[in-house]
This record gives sequence, structure tokens and C-alpha cells, in this order.
Amino acid sequence: MTSELRESTDASRDGAVQLELTNVYKRFGGVRALRGADLKVTGGGVVHGLIGENGSGKSTLLGVLSGQIQADEGQIFVDGKPVSFANPTVALRGGIAMVSQETALADELTIAENIFLGRRMARGFGGIDWKATRRRAAEVLERLELGYDPGWLVERLRPDQKQMVEIARALSMDTRVLILDEPTSSLTNDEVQALFRAVRQIKATGVATIFVSHRLDEVFDLVDELTVLRDGCTVAQGSVDGFNTRSLVDAMVGKEGAWHEYARPSSASSARGGTAPALQVTGMTIPGHVDGVDVTVEHGEIVGVAGLVGAGRSELLEGIFGLRPVTAGTIAIDGSVIQARSPRAAIRQGLGFLPPDRKHQGLVLQRTIDENLTMVATLTRSRWLPPGGNELGQKVEEVAKTMRLRAASRRALVSTLSGGNQQKVAVGKWLMADPRVLLLDEPTRGVDVAAKSEIHELLKGVAATGVAMLVVSSENDELIQLADRILIMFRGRIVASVTAREADLPTIARYAGGHI
Amino acid sequence: MSMNLAASGEPAGSAPAGTDGANVARRAFAATRHFRPVLVLVIVLLVYFSLDQSVFLTSSNIENLLTDVSVLWVVALGMTFLLLTGGADLSVGAIASIAGILAAKLLDLGVPGLPVVILAVLFGALIGAFINGFLVGTLNLSFFVVTLASMITLTGVVNIWSGTKSYFVNSPLINRIGVMNTLGLPTAIWIMIVTFVIALYVQHRTYWARDVYAIGGSRVAARLSGIRTSLILMSVYALSGACAALGGIITTGRIGAATPQPDPNLPLQAIAGVLLGGTSLLGGQGGVGGTALGVLFIGTLQNGLSLSGVSSFWQQVITGVILVAAVLGDRITVRGGIGGLIARLRARSVAAQASSAEP
Repeated sequence: MTSELRESTDASRDGAVQLELTNVYKRFGGVRALRGADLKVTGGGVVHGLIGENGSGKSTLLGVLSGQIQADEGQIFVDGKPVSFANPTVALRGGIAMVSQETALADELTIAENIFLGRRMARGFGGIDWKATRRRAAEVLERLELGYDPGWLVERLRPDQKQMVEIARALSMDTRVLILDEPTSSLTNDEVQALFRAVRQIKATGVATIFVSHRLDEVFDLVDELTVLRDGCTVAQGSVDGFNTRSLVDAMVGKEGAWHEYARPSSASSARGGTAPALQVTGMTIPGHVDGVDVTVEHGEIVGVAGLVGAGRSELLEGIFGLRPVTAGTIAIDGSVIQARSPRAAIRQGLGFLPPDRKHQGLVLQRTIDENLTMVATLTRSRWLPPGGNELGQKVEEVAKTMRLRAASRRALVSTLSGGNQQKVAVGKWLMADPRVLLLDEPTRGVDVAAKSEIHELLKGVAATGVAMLVVSSENDELIQLADRILIMFRGRIVASVTAREADLPTIARYAGGHI
Repeated sequence: MSMNLAASGEPAGSAPAGTDGANVARRAFAATRHFRPVLVLVIVLLVYFSLDQSVFLTSSNIENLLTDVSVLWVVALGMTFLLLTGGADLSVGAIASIAGILAAKLLDLGVPGLPVVILAVLFGALIGAFINGFLVGTLNLSFFVVTLASMITLTGVVNIWSGTKSYFVNSPLINRIGVMNTLGLPTAIWIMIVTFVIALYVQHRTYWARDVYAIGGSRVAARLSGIRTSLILMSVYALSGACAALGGIITTGRIGAATPQPDPNLPLQAIAGVLLGGTSLLGGQGGVGGTALGVLFIGTLQNGLSLSGVSSFWQQVITGVILVAAVLGDRITVRGGIGGLIARLRARSVAAQASSAEP
């Protein structure tokens, strides 16, 4: 699989590779994110693609490289010399800058100020030298062939322009290796082309670029050499000439012949015996996020929603739950149209929503397991009368038992639990409320493998009692394990629907990347 | 007093039938964790002053001590729930003052005492709900800006409305609240007892208080669970406003007149009492048991030092130092003793050195 490394090009010195990571290991609690990953950027002016499924360890590896994460084992070499990056500042000083998926700019400042954020161009006692700041900013923008005025306010820029400003900011710091983490995930085709032009400009100035992407056509368009990660290991690396689409997908998925051509997506399964579906969403539109989406979930069915970051998956769930203003479309539960303008209204109509961030959105960490579990179930009780009856206590006991919740006592604070058990409480509080439709956003994020499979079993068991579920996950294999049917979103639309039996990772990855 | 608090300080709806006494005692002890430092301090102060000053433990002095902090006590109890939501109310002094003036004006119109007290307290609740509560809870403005602005505005309003003059109040009920005894105890002390019992009940036995804790812990999580966060926040500010107005009535009774000059120390002293009692400024943790002790601490210090003839400025110095020490002490007990604190500080400085030593 590994192709011969391309002879290092122009800027490499003494034949040493520009940047090399060898045998990197990293463990987060029980999860081994990296187990022997390698990455080798062979010279300046090289565009290096880093490819892998979600959860393959790309982000962790980039975190190690940019000083945000400390590896348990492994070494980093720059120009053949071992270095260690204790934090991002040290990495920046070593010439390694990262532009992450979320933009980190100060909206109220100008482009020039943002480019030099944290570094002031002072002029003796005269304070900030605004002239020099603007001139230097203009130079960097010129290098990227961008027609931006350094005096523009960042808040007026489009997301893709903000990304360019971040790239300009990274380049202004004498960067030798620029890391772009999925820069195209939320861009339109024209914007992608503009980004590619910028990357080629960067390449021409001798700066190496590490380019992370899900979209295989981009890889072949832009990249000179690449590294494929799977399950925290480097499974293939070398010049891009040694790969084709087929061999690349096989390497990512780890199965010979994983790349099959599939028929058009199957139509949604028909309603059972004429009863109305548990959840029916028609023509839902949330400006900028969701564009005329139809979803039908039958009683007892688990429907997965796959797609890239920014495809509108979470926004779809939030729209259904009344968290986002919906400009068009209807939502019906058991055939009757509902109006959910707030979470409370949605809950009272039989909906439940597990948010992706359990620590801030899903749970109140400083309260007890008991209180968190009963938070939704007791919503309609009088706020002033004492909590009555023991029937809730029994139900808590039951739910805790089905979930195999491991805790010293039901009155333990949720903050004292492990991540997996916290997530069980976050799920359990919805089970306590007997919803008819459960919306789950990343139901097992940051949970260890054992708890993950327990939560999956639990959800399947609940679905078997007739509860309909709509599950968003960025881990496609989770959706394949859990869902009966998987919808794939791309830029606000549902582009495909596949049954779990015919779904596999390459199919989902292909649709999610916008290839119909 | 302290035993009483400890026993009632355990979480609501929690005592399953048939647990043995040791278990209950352990749980009661665990429930004191937020206010353990101030509990110790109050006991130390009580022991010290009773040994040092023979008059300290006389019943008349204890009555003085308590009635002196009765206004602070009532206001701080209301303030506790606000701090639990992650907020605070700087306008309680102004609300107290405006409620006093309202009461005096109503009495001048010939309205009898009981309706006057009820109307004044309701008026405080309305100001709390529809000015502070609406702006903070519904429009999501910062509690600091909102209550600072309403403090300034209401101070102006009360002076304009009263023409900056004080009103003598000669109502039997309000006199009784301020200076007279009921059933052998000063009425103000009865009010302290009743408000405390109600606050404890509300804190431990209602879903409203659970909503308050949930909002303080995470407003987003509370909203996503269907809790009406704006409505609950409005009601908390209403409660604080009502307590402030009751405080204003007690003050009016004690002075025998309603004055348009709000007590500028009242809001901050109430917040200090709540914080001394171990309630977190970030919300979600603490309770009224600790607040009672925090106010008792302030009262005991005030009373004991003045008996000893020490300047009241020393009392301020000590209160300030103890406030920081109590919060620090809470952190030490929560995270594994003073050894743990030192270990963490050391780890932090080592990490800082390591990163700065890097090439």
C-alpha cells in the first residue's frame, strides 16, 4: 500500500524531511486515540493530505503537532531535529500554525488588527504603529491574492472570508507548516476554488501545508502526498500518485474491496398498516442551515442522520425541538401537526431532545442523579407543593437499573460520575418522561467503548417499545450499528437515504461529501 | 441553633424509610459542607465573646444582637435564591426605602396597618418581578447592570416622591414589628424565625427551588429540560423584592419613621452574608442555612466588638478578611484538604515553568 516517498523538493535542507512525527501514542482515559501514528511532510512547499474517517485520530494528531495535546509517546522532528511543543505558543514559535474548523477571530476588530492579534507593532513610546500594522497586513493579504482591505471589520465578512483572514494570520507569523483542519467542510464550490488558489499561492512561497479533508476529489486535486489514519494508526502514506479513489477508500475503511458502487438510495420504508408516522417533518427550512427537509420516522424506528460538520444535522433537530426559528415546513407527531415554539412546548407535545454537550446542555452537574433524572418528568407538577408520592422514586430506580448506572447512590452529584455514566443520566432523564419521539444529537460523544455499547442497547430497547428516534452522529459506524435507516445531509439538504443493511462507511462518506 | 440547621440541611425528598441513625447523622454532616467554615467561625466567636464579655450571653444582649441583624437577615434570605441562580440584586436598599415610604403614605391616607404591610411587600415583589426580573430573565440583560440601574433609578424616585422628607409612622402594627415584643420575644425575632422556616421549606421541599438550582447550575440545560427559565427568574427577583420591602417595614418600625435615604450598605452586606454562608456566586450551590450563619457571624462580630469597645471599622476589616478566608476555606475542604490546595498550586507553577523553559 505504501508508495515510495517522493524525493523531497525545493526547500528541504540536507535531504532531511521538513517535519516528521513518529510513533505517536495518546490515550484519553480508556480510549486509545492514537496508537503508533506517523506523519511525514517531505519538504517546504508541499501540500500534505491527512485523510481518515471520523474518530480515526486526525484531530488528536493535529493537536499533538500544534502543541494543544501532549502525546504519551512519540517524537516530533523539525528539519531532522527533535522538538517538543508544550503548548500552542511554543509550536507557533517553531513555525507550525493551525487554522481550526471554528474561526477564532475578534469580530469587532479590523482584518489588520486580527492578523496581528496578540503581537503589537509598537513604535517606541508612540504606542501602536498603525501604519506599519496596515502595511504588513496588506502584504500578507497580497500574498494570498485576496482583494481585502486591511481596514475592514471582521464581523462584516462571510465565513469563508473569515477563514481566509485566519490563514493570513497564520502566514503572518513566519509559519513554515500551515495546518488546515477540514477547511472546506462549510464552503460552497466557488469558495473551495478560492481556497485552493490560496493554498497554491502558499505552496509557491515554500510553506508546507497539511490539509485535512473528507472529500476525496479535493485530495486528488490539491495534494502532493498523503497520510491515511485508521483507528489511531497510520495505515498508508506516500505520494498521491500511488493512490486512486478505490485504494484510498480501502485504506480508510480497512477492508479490501470496500468500494462498491451502490444503486440509488432506497425510498423511505412505507408507513405500517396505515397508522400515521410517529414523526413527520415536511419542507422544514431554517435559513442558512436547513433547506426544505422531509423526514419521516415510524413508531419504533431509529433513523440516523449523517453528514459533515455544517451540513445542518444538529440544526434540523434543534428546529424540530423549537430551539431555532423555522421559516417553512410542518412538524406532525402521530399525525397531528404541532407548534413547538419553545423546548417546553415541544416536550409537552411528546418530544425529547438529548443535546450534544452533556456538561453544559444536558445535565446540571452540581445536582444529584435523582434530581437530574426527574427534571423533565416533574415539569408539569406544581412548583409550590412538596414533591409527592413515591412512584417517581420507583421509576428512577427502574431506569437506573435498566441503564446499569454505576453510582454510589442516587443522591450522588452527577459531577462525580464518569463520562459514560453521566451520559446515561442525560439519556435517562428523557426516558423518565416517556416521550413519543426522541431526538438525539451525538448520543455517545466522549463515552468509552463499553458504555457506548450499553447506551446503544438501551436505545434499541426503548425503540422496541414504540418510541421513534432521530439520531445525529458524526461517527458513521455508530449510525450503521444503531439505526434502521440513515439519511445523509449535505449543505442543508437530505441527499440520500440508505437502509442500515445496505449502508457502509464508504457509501455514507461518498454521499456526505456531496457525491451523488 | 447549629444542630437545628444541620439536621434540616439535608436534601429534599431524600430520606428513605428505615435508614439507621448513623446514616442520617452522616448525611446531615455532609449537608453542612457548604457552610462548615462559617459554622466553626460563629462557634468560635460565640465562645470567645461569652468568655470575654460577661454581658454577652445575657438574654437581653442576644435579643439585641438578633434584632440588629433582623433586616439584613430577611434581605439576605431572599438574596440567597438570587445568588443560587447566578445573579444578585443591588437594588434591595432602594426597594426597602420605597416600600417604607409607600407604607407611610398609605397610613397617612388612613389605611389600617395589616393591609399596609401586605401592600408594601407586594409592591416590592412587583418591582422585583417586572423591573429586575423582566430585564434579567426575559431580556437576558446582565443582572449587575440591571440592578445597579434600578438601584440608582429607584433612589431618585423615592426622593422625588417623598420630597426628600421623612414620614413619622405611628401604626400599632408597624411599631410592634419594629420595637415591641410578641409572646415574650421581640417581634422582629419572630419574623426572622418564620422567614427562615419558610425559606428552608421552599429550598428543600418545592420544585420551584429545584428549578432555581437547575438554572444556576446551567441555564441552557434547564431551558432544554423545559423549565420556564424567564418565569422562574422573574419570581426569584420578586421574592428578593418582597424580602427587601419587608426589611423596609422592619426598618421603618425600628426608627419610627420612613426615610427616603436607602441604606447603601444593605445590598452588599446581604451578598456578603450569603457568600459567607458558602453559597457560590456562580450559582447552583449553597442554601439558606449557610446564609443564616453568615448573617449571624456579621451580627455576633458587630455586637461583641462594640461590647468590647472596639471601633466598628475593625469589624469591617475583619468581615472582609473572613469573607475571603471563608471562600478559600470552602475550596480547601471541597478539594481534599490544604495539602490538596498546595499540591495544585505547585503543579500549576511547575507547568508554568516548564512551558516558559521550552525553546
